[in-house]
Amino acid sequence: MYLILSSIFFPILAGVFLLIRYRTPLSGKKNADSKALTTLTGCFLIVTAGLVIASLLTAEDGFTLFYLTKTLPIYFRIDSTGTIFSLLAVIVLLCAGFFSFEYMKHEERDNRYYGFYLLIFGVLNALCFAGNLITFYLFFELLTLASMPLVLHNGSREAVMAGLKYLFYSLCGAYAALFGIYFLYRNCDSLTFTTEGALRASAITGHGGFLLVVAFVMLLGFGVKAGMFPMHAWLPTAHPVAPAPASAVLSAVIVKAGVLAIIRVLGMFGRDFLRGTWVQTAWIILTLITVFMGSLLAYREPVLKKRLAYSTVSQLSYILFGLAIMNGTSFAGALCHVLAHGFVKAVLFLCAGAIIYRTGKTRVEEMRGIGKEMPLTMWCFTIASLGLIGIPPTSGFVSKWYLAVGSLESGIPVFDVLGPVILLVSALLTAGYLLPLTIHGFFPGADYDYNMLQKKEPCKLMTVPVLILTILSILVGLFPEIVINLIRMAVTG
Amino acid sequence: MPFVCNFPFFSILLSLFSGTVCSMLPAKKAKVVNRTVILAVGLMSAVLLLYLLSTGDAYIYWMGHFPAPWGNEIRAGVLEAGMALFFCIIMYLSMAGGAHKLPGEVVESKHNLYYILVNLLLSSLLALVYTNDMFTAYVFVEINTISACGLIMIRQVGRTIEAAVRYMIMSLLGSGLLLFGLCIMYDLTGHLLMSNIKESVGLLMANGEYQIPLIVSVALMCIGLCIKSALFPFHAWLPDAYGYSTVSSAAILSSLVSKGYIFLLIKIIYRVIGFDIFNSTRIIDVLFVFGLMGMIFGSISAIKENDIRRMIAFSSVAQIGYIYMGFGMGTQAGMIASIFHILSHAATKSLLFIAAIGLTDVSGGSRKFIDLTGAAYRNKWAGAAFTAGSLSMVGIPLFSGFISKLLFAQAAVQMEGKMLASLIVLGISTVLNAVYFMKTVIRIYTSAPDAPYKGITFRDMKSYAVALVCFILLNVILGVSSQPIVDMIGQGLAMFA
Amino acid sequence: MIILVILIPFITGILVPIIPFRKRWHKEVFLETAVVLNSILVWYLLLHHSDSTFLLAHFTGNLNISFRVDGMSMVFAGLVSALWPFATLYAFEYMTKEEHENVFFLFYTLTYGVTLGIALAANLLTMYFFYELLTLVTVPLVMHTLTREAVLASRKYLYYSLGGAAFAFLGLIMVIVYGSTTDFILGGVLDPAKTAGKTDVLLLIYVMAFMGFGVKAAVCPFNSWLPQAGVAPTPVTALLHAVAVVKSGAFAIIRLTYYSFGTDFLKGTWAQDVVMAVVMFTIVYGCSRAVKETHIKRRLAYSTISNLSYILFGVVIMTPLGLAGALTHLVFHAVMKISSFFCAGAIMHQTDRHYVHELNGLGYKMPRVFGIFTISALALMGVPGLAGFVSKWNLAGAAVKSNNPLAWGGIACLLVSALLTAIYMLTIVVRAFFPGKDFDYGTISDICDPNWKMLLPLFIFTVFIILFGVYSQPVVDFFMRVATGAV
Repeated sequence: MYLILSSIFFPILAGVFLLIRYRTPLSGKKNADSKALTTLTGCFLIVTAGLVIASLLTAEDGFTLFYLTKTLPIYFRIDSTGTIFSLLAVIVLLCAGFFSFEYMKHEERDNRYYGFYLLIFGVLNALCFAGNLITFYLFFELLTLASMPLVLHNGSREAVMAGLKYLFYSLCGAYAALFGIYFLYRNCDSLTFTTEGALRASAITGHGGFLLVVAFVMLLGFGVKAGMFPMHAWLPTAHPVAPAPASAVLSAVIVKAGVLAIIRVLGMFGRDFLRGTWVQTAWIILTLITVFMGSLLAYREPVLKKRLAYSTVSQLSYILFGLAIMNGTSFAGALCHVLAHGFVKAVLFLCAGAIIYRTGKTRVEEMRGIGKEMPLTMWCFTIASLGLIGIPPTSGFVSKWYLAVGSLESGIPVFDVLGPVILLVSALLTAGYLLPLTIHGFFPGADYDYNMLQKKEPCKLMTVPVLILTILSILVGLFPEIVINLIRMAVTG
Repeated sequence: MPFVCNFPFFSILLSLFSGTVCSMLPAKKAKVVNRTVILAVGLMSAVLLLYLLSTGDAYIYWMGHFPAPWGNEIRAGVLEAGMALFFCIIMYLSMAGGAHKLPGEVVESKHNLYYILVNLLLSSLLALVYTNDMFTAYVFVEINTISACGLIMIRQVGRTIEAAVRYMIMSLLGSGLLLFGLCIMYDLTGHLLMSNIKESVGLLMANGEYQIPLIVSVALMCIGLCIKSALFPFHAWLPDAYGYSTVSSAAILSSLVSKGYIFLLIKIIYRVIGFDIFNSTRIIDVLFVFGLMGMIFGSISAIKENDIRRMIAFSSVAQIGYIYMGFGMGTQAGMIASIFHILSHAATKSLLFIAAIGLTDVSGGSRKFIDLTGAAYRNKWAGAAFTAGSLSMVGIPLFSGFISKLLFAQAAVQMEGKMLASLIVLGISTVLNAVYFMKTVIRIYTSAPDAPYKGITFRDMKSYAVALVCFILLNVILGVSSQPIVDMIGQGLAMFA
Repeated sequence: MIILVILIPFITGILVPIIPFRKRWHKEVFLETAVVLNSILVWYLLLHHSDSTFLLAHFTGNLNISFRVDGMSMVFAGLVSALWPFATLYAFEYMTKEEHENVFFLFYTLTYGVTLGIALAANLLTMYFFYELLTLVTVPLVMHTLTREAVLASRKYLYYSLGGAAFAFLGLIMVIVYGSTTDFILGGVLDPAKTAGKTDVLLLIYVMAFMGFGVKAAVCPFNSWLPQAGVAPTPVTALLHAVAVVKSGAFAIIRLTYYSFGTDFLKGTWAQDVVMAVVMFTIVYGCSRAVKETHIKRRLAYSTISNLSYILFGVVIMTPLGLAGALTHLVFHAVMKISSFFCAGAIMHQTDRHYVHELNGLGYKMPRVFGIFTISALALMGVPGLAGFVSKWNLAGAAVKSNNPLAWGGIACLLVSALLTAIYMLTIVVRAFFPGKDFDYGTISDICDPNWKMLLPLFIFTVFIILFGVYSQPVVDFFMRVATGAV
């Protein structure tokens, strides 16, 4: 109990402490004691990570913290699904956190950044450890609120508008979900997470049709966070304006909160209740549209970070597609892709950040020869790209394989085949929008002026986290059975 | 027959003759006589009322001891005595409240003429209240008209003369119609005494004879009195007459004269035609509809008005609409509500007129709203009184207006067919009342720091302030302890039968 | 005893302009003592209440002016008396910048008594009486500044309120005529023998009376007075136009619906559908107007409009659960909104800035005020862990359980409104804390947080917002007992 609580509240309190203690003087642009700040943040990050790992290892029992109202407990519990997401969160946040120590040197008000960064860490932990829907919803809202300052960090008009857009889309989704929660609450015995469905039998026979509507509304609502069509528009606006490490966290972890939410909701309704209904069909259609559309838009996008954001839209719907198929294989594929995409997208964004930090280039066509300038970064970028496309030894291949197999096994008319086809097309597009960077980066062409070439490799604080993440993404691809076992546990409960 | 029973006769005679006396006295003394007479009459009515309440029965008084059909009868019941008392109170207070304005409004030489007219008016009102004879009623209706005309005209400005002419024409039209109706009625029944006519009418109705002439006669009388009491489509004379005459005249005209006619109409309904027969005709529906329209259109005209006196005058049109709506319901409860509203409106409207004059006085005599800004700070008493009157008009509990609204609404609920219409119109009309009265109240309480007018203190207007306080008290008494009064009205109506 | 708590504010109020106070703080001490004493008295009364009715006066017929403490009165009187001392304290500081202080405190304190009169009224007539009185004693407060704007606003306020009362009056008549008594009895007093065959008319009048009382509760389309009345000094807008006056409207509707007409009579009829549709529309309408509005206080006023209809939404569900939800929001919204209004007032008092776009960067200069404002904003949005979530949860729960599809639609309205709430509240917060890259902090260098008299109420309200958010059980249980008539 205390480990879980401290892994949640330690970073939150630490974040608040940073916000208050290191208040930036209004006139000055920079903190005087920025070194102390980063050191402290680093310690906090490591302690938090340690706490999370410790609580995952000790596998404590669930416990109720307090009751919001008589029948609404704030309840925490560690289960295997939560563990997977928690692992992803810890690793990515840790790496991106250290990355930002260097990166944030060229941004203002870093205390605010670190403060909210730690807040997000705590909230994410709480989200992963939440044991019932209401606890989850509580931290889901807090996540939106705590991550918004990262989006509007640089304070430009564009960033503020993006932040507000992010906020309103997210809240819109959250409220749609809340609508469903109201009805679930009435029709379930308790809101504690299960994987078998918690609806009362009487409710299903009585209001089955309406409950399907409710389920769909909830899927759409939580789907907003996961960037599902038609509520995806915030993602390509909000992610790129944040500082690069924050974009990495947003794209790799925070959007996964939407995925986690949908997994939880599916568990509450029960796959058997939804399988074969119009909800499933509509959902599959939406995810496939998103997959295809995201890739296509990424393909047409010239700004690197935006391109990556569109790619996130597309890749997240791979995961959602896997969930929508609703069988074990595809579910395993989806969870696998959660990890794979998490690591890969973090690498990609951090690389993009490193490029911006060192060269200030944001558009893809400016990055000719970048591979010569920053070879290590670009190698990581390339490996990650391959992972995202799904070239065999990398992580993306495993997850996509499971997704496709699951889809073909499912026997859903039309979509069992159409799904994998669209996934493949999208993979091609992915190659189309990621590989040109590598190609032009390493092979700038005959007219490239090698005399101008400077080594711009960033310092260790930046490259090491990127390297770690890259290696992890390869490991997931090389030793999928560890991950798959963990996932099996998640599937069976 | 105890001595008290002579009081109605005495009071009519007293006021009639004191009028004549006044013409020979100088203005100061005439004023004293006038006040004394009103007080005396009021006192007598009060004693009579107590007597009647104790006996619990009305009586008929033969003037000169000639029995019907030759003699002239006076009839006194609780309602009559109560009305007489009430009229006296209002008249006294109105005179007291307007007294300080008289020198400015009327030339010195005509002051005693003014008091003659007031006395005549009082006597005619008393006669209308007490008489049991249709022809006497007609005669006093005419006297009433003439004295009222005089009261309007005595302030000799262009507008008042025009107003008086207008009033004269409309009023004479009204009394003409009344006379027609009376003639037809006489033709049909051969009687002029109310009780006799009622008997014959009852017979005629029972036999089914002369139905149409009977209805025509009733209709003519009704329309005649409606014109005179300014029911909605016949109200065109009213705003000028009330708006431009002297302040006491306006107060008296609005709260007493029109009420005298209405009271006569009630008497005709009960004592001449019979309540049930009257209700079986379509006339009450017409009255009902006119009443409702009056409630709405009177208020709308008042909202549009930019002159405080005329606004109050238009409000009278609306209030008279209430009274006729009560008639139109054709139930005992409706009638009680109407009679209560006669009292409540009389008390409130004269209060408003008197208060308004206080406000205009401290605003350079202008009656435009723009000049009245902040007037309540300059004349605190008038401001408070105007506010109280307005609240009563809007129907705030504790004031008399609320009770009449309550009675009207309760009466309306019992009427299946007319319930919704009356309730909704009641609601709308309250809203409209609120609009124009509250607009004024806010206006007079909006401070105007640069206004060039001087304020006035209590010391400068003792009698005026006292009159206002009495009016407010009267209002509150009507509003708080309404139950005995309502009971009394019910008792009086029962005596009519 | 009951009459005492109504009289003390009256006497105190009248004494304020009469007593020649030597120093300003003498007056402050006098007023604050009287108000606190009265509040203590009210709470004592509520905690030791007996079921007896205190008869003040006979009116006419079987109508009388009488007072009684029942569950509903406990909720409303308790709320009002808890907030009033704080608001008074806040008003002292705020009014240092305004004129005609005596008149202000006269009517401000009078309003306390009148509001308690509404809360403690034992029958519909008494409540109606104090309801009208409330309009009258609050008009001078709206008119306070005597500017043209204030005069127009108070005029509108008067028209609307008195007009509304005129239609509420019809409801009163119906209860007098068709009810067995005018006393408040949970479940209604309509006499089935008398109402037979007149159902439709009664329902129509109910709808009219609902809209009539709804004027004070700012139901659409009768809401436009409320934002305009924001010209009044902030203590007035905060306490009266977020709590006392507007909630009197909601309170009156509760009395009308649950204690006079009775839910058995109304439930499932077209009248319920009509009023529910109106309320649902108001919920969304109020919020959308708030989003468009750029004046801070008016924006909050529109937010009040929407939130009042939350309460009414609970009311028109017409189940005990719905009533409990309504009461929860009645109390919780009071705390949240008064907190945000006081923040707005503090901002205006310290900076003389009235529009949202003038707030850039102030968050760094007034961190306490804006921190509290942020919390109240989050609470109004319904973030779990703060008061707003609990009341919305109860409202929505009641709506789900009512099995009324229209009420389900109402939940959607609640959530849309929550989203809009987020928009109009958080844009202020974002402006204050994220003024933009090129913002010149020099322009706001001489601005700071207000002194303790303003901050203390704010802190206390914030504590309650959080407390209600995480531990609302005893309060909600109490509301449930009130709604089922167990108190």
